[in-house]
Amino acid sequence: MSKDLPTAVQIKNLTKTFPVPFKKEKVVAVDNLSLSVMPGEVYGLIGPNGSGKSTTMKVLLGLISATSGSSTVFGMSSTETASRGSVGFLPENPYFYKYLTGAETIAFYGKLCGLKRKVIKERTSELLNLVELEGARDRRLAGYSKGMLQRIGLAQALVGRPKLVVLDEPTAGVDPAGSRKIRDLIMQLKDQGITVILSSHLLEQVQEVCDRVGIIFEGKLVREGSLKTLIEIEDQTEIVLENAGSDLLKKITDLINQENGVNLIRSGRPRTTLETLFLKETGGESKDVRNES
Amino acid sequence: MTVENNEPIYNELNSKFKLFSPSRVMAIAMNTFTQLVRMKVFYFLLIFSVLIIGANVLFLNFTFEQELKILQDVSFGAMTLFASIFSIVGTALLIPKDIEDRTLYSILTKPVPRFEYLIGKLLGILFLVAVSLVLMSILFFAVLFFRQHGILAEEINQMRGQPTAEQISSLKENIFAQGLRLELINGVVAVFLKAAVAAAIALVVSTFASSTLFTIIVSLVIYFIGHAQSMALDYYFPEGDMHGAFQRFIAGIVAIIFPNLQIFNVVDGIVSGQSVPMSLMFRLTGLTGFYLFIYSFVSWVLFAKKEL
Repeated sequence: MSKDLPTAVQIKNLTKTFPVPFKKEKVVAVDNLSLSVMPGEVYGLIGPNGSGKSTTMKVLLGLISATSGSSTVFGMSSTETASRGSVGFLPENPYFYKYLTGAETIAFYGKLCGLKRKVIKERTSELLNLVELEGARDRRLAGYSKGMLQRIGLAQALVGRPKLVVLDEPTAGVDPAGSRKIRDLIMQLKDQGITVILSSHLLEQVQEVCDRVGIIFEGKLVREGSLKTLIEIEDQTEIVLENAGSDLLKKITDLINQENGVNLIRSGRPRTTLETLFLKETGGESKDVRNES
Repeated sequence: MTVENNEPIYNELNSKFKLFSPSRVMAIAMNTFTQLVRMKVFYFLLIFSVLIIGANVLFLNFTFEQELKILQDVSFGAMTLFASIFSIVGTALLIPKDIEDRTLYSILTKPVPRFEYLIGKLLGILFLVAVSLVLMSILFFAVLFFRQHGILAEEINQMRGQPTAEQISSLKENIFAQGLRLELINGVVAVFLKAAVAAAIALVVSTFASSTLFTIIVSLVIYFIGHAQSMALDYYFPEGDMHGAFQRFIAGIVAIIFPNLQIFNVVDGIVSGQSVPMSLMFRLTGLTGFYLFIYSFVSWVLFAKKEL
C-alpha cells in the first residue's frame, strides 16, 4: 500500500484494554491493530464473537477512547467530533425511538447532521425510496419488522451524505430477501464511491460485496488483503464449461492424466446457493453478484 | 502524508462543524419532549383535574377562607408532585434507556458533542415540565376563578335583606384577596424552579448510573435530603458558629451535593396570603441557574469520557 494514497480510515497500533472490576489485570480487547481503508473501498472486518471488531469500530466512531494508538477518518482524528461529519453508522440490532415514524426518524438524524429544513424534506423522501420504505413513512417504528428497522437504520446512516459508512452486522436477524436488499444497497453505495466498512458473521455476504477483508482474532489482525488474493487456492485452477458433452469431458480428463504431477481433484455440476434457490422460489428479486463477477 | 492528501475533506469537515449548535440542541430537546408526550404523560392532567374538583366537592362545608386555601394547597401540592416526578423520572428514564438500547450510538456517531446531547435532554424535560405546569395552572386558575365567583354568589344569598353595594364590594374584596391573584404565578414559577433543580440532579446521576431504577432512587434520596439540608446544617453548624474555613468548606460541599430545596417552598406562604418579595424570586432564579450550570458541567465531565 502506497503511503502517498489518501486513506479513508487509518488505524495505527490500536490497543484497547478494559479493566476487570476488583482485579488488577485488564482484558485486552484490541491488541496493537493497524489497518487502512482506501476511499471507495468496501472493507470487510470479520472475526468470531468477542474478537475485537465492535471495539475497533467504537474507537473509530469516538464512542470509546483508545488505550494507545490512533485512528483517523479522512485524516482527522476520530476523537474529534467533527470527524463524524463524514461518517454514517448502522449499529448492530439498532434501536431507534419507537414512537417516531420512519420519516420523523430520518428528519431527526438529518437535523443532527446540520441539514436545513428543505434539504431534510427532500433527503427523507429520497432515502425512504432508496430503502423501499416509502409506504411505511408515516408508520411508527414500533410497528416495523426487523428488516425494516435495519433499512431505516441504513437510511439514517446515509442522511448526512457520509463519505464513510460503517455497518455492524447489517443483516443480523433479517430474512434472506431483506438481507439481499441490504446487500444490494451496499453495492449501490460502492457504485457511488462511498467507502464502506462492513462487519458481518455472514461470510458469504462479505465475500460477495467486499474488496478487501481483515480477519480479527483475539484482538489482533491475523490476515488482511484483497478478497481475491486471500481466498485463491494458489496451486489449483478451475474451468467451468457450458454445454460440454461427455466426449469432450473424457478428452479433457485423458489430457490431464497424461500430464505428470497434475491431478484432477473433482469434476461435476456447479451448485447454486440455498439463498439463490430460496429467492428464486419465493419470488425475491435480486441479481446474483457472484455469477456476474 | 495522509492528512495532506485528505486536506479537502478535512477542511470541509472542519468548516461545516460548529462547536455548539443551538439547532442540534433543539432537535434533541424537541425529540425528548415528543417522546414523553407520546408516552402519554399528559394523562396525568385527568388525575390533576379529579384532585382539584375533588377538593372543591369535599370541602363544601368549610368557611370560604378555608375552602379557597384547601383548593390552593391541593393544587400546588399536586403541581409540585407532578413536576418533580416528571423531572426525576423523565430524566432517569430517558438517558439510561438511550444507553441501554444503544440509541445513543446513532446520535453520538453524528457530529453531536456529548454536552449538546445532555443539554438537549435536560431542555426537553424542562420544556415538558413547563408545558405541564402551564396546563395545570390554567386548570387551577379556572377552577379558582369560578369557585371565588360561586362563593361570592353564595355569600350574597346568605346575607339577610338586600345587601348594599358597599357590603358586596367589601365581601368581594375579602374573597378575591384569597382567590385568584398574581402572587400565585410566583408560586408556579417556584414549583418550576425546584423541578428544574431536581431534573439537573437526575441528569448528573444518570451519567454514571447503570440503570433507570438506580437513577430514580439516588435522585429521590438527594431530593429528600435537599429538603432537610438547611435543617441539618443549622443543627451541626449553628448560626454564628460558621467562622471556620473548614466548616464553611464542608457546608459548601453539602450545599452543592444536596441543594437546599426547602428554600423553593414559597407556596405555603403564598397560600396563607403572604406576599413573596421579587428579590426572593430573583434569588431563586439565580440559584436555579447556578445549580443547572454546576450540575450540567459535572454531568458533562462524567459523560465526556464515558465508554459506551
